Amino acid sequence: MLGWLTVTGLAAGLIMGLGVAPREVTQGNVQRIMYVHVPAAWVAYLAFGVVLVASIVYLATRARAADRLAHASAEAGVVFTGLAIVAGSIWGKPTWGTWWTWDARLTTTAILFVIYLGYLLLRGMVDDPDRAARYAAVVGIIGALDIPLVHFSVLWWRTLHQPPSVGRPQASAMDPIILTTLLVNVAAFTLLYLYFVVRGARILRRQEEAVA
Amino acid sequence: MPDNWGFVLAAYAIGALVLGGYWRRLRRRERQARQRPAIRRAPARPALSTHPRPDPGARP
Repeated sequence: MLGWLTVTGLAAGLIMGLGVAPREVTQGNVQRIMYVHVPAAWVAYLAFGVVLVASIVYLATRARAADRLAHASAEAGVVFTGLAIVAGSIWGKPTWGTWWTWDARLTTTAILFVIYLGYLLLRGMVDDPDRAARYAAVVGIIGALDIPLVHFSVLWWRTLHQPPSVGRPQASAMDPIILTTLLVNVAAFTLLYLYFVVRGARILRRQEEAVA
Repeated sequence: MPDNWGFVLAAYAIGALVLGGYWRRLRRRERQARQRPAIRRAPARPALSTHPRPDPGARP
């Protein structure tokens, strides 16, 4: 059910992003990359936020289910962060003239990616599952401190990256079709994230049961 | 500004590759987890601090 809903959402997002949404006036068609880049970045925030909450719950209760949720969410978060970085880089070349710059938003996002990649590596390096879960929970909580830095970096520092276009009172009004297309893609990526996490957590449970 | 459709298609294609690749990886791991037989951990044995002493009663 969730899988089919996700496929439908992604198909709708793709059709709207490449066909229905109008050509943006200043950037031209290259702005259509936003429909991949922004939803991927949003889902990355969500995924690492879930890691934060699940890690706190695990440390408080030692519930294995909370650890599995944190693990599966971190894995999906790394995938979506990587995609946000690559899509942003492809968007940056024709608009900024460079694939990469050590701008505050890009740098804090790269740090977020490396922190959670380290989180996954740490889990793989510690043999004792309880100890691995405990260490990972601590990294998951500390790593989440970077999320507000990523989000507010465009407001706190002078950056090449544009400030958020949605959710800011003084932001310029977005064309309703562009906004709808963006929201459809955000919803579709969120569903895909949920699908990945549900499946990932189920695999981790099976693996735990196999060695129990 | 030129339309840069090449960049747009590249971004969408990489998105499909990354997300599709991760989905396939999850499917493979799920199949492996289902096929793997259950491995039971051996019950923990108490550690011996010294060499085991022979039972005096067992001597001939």
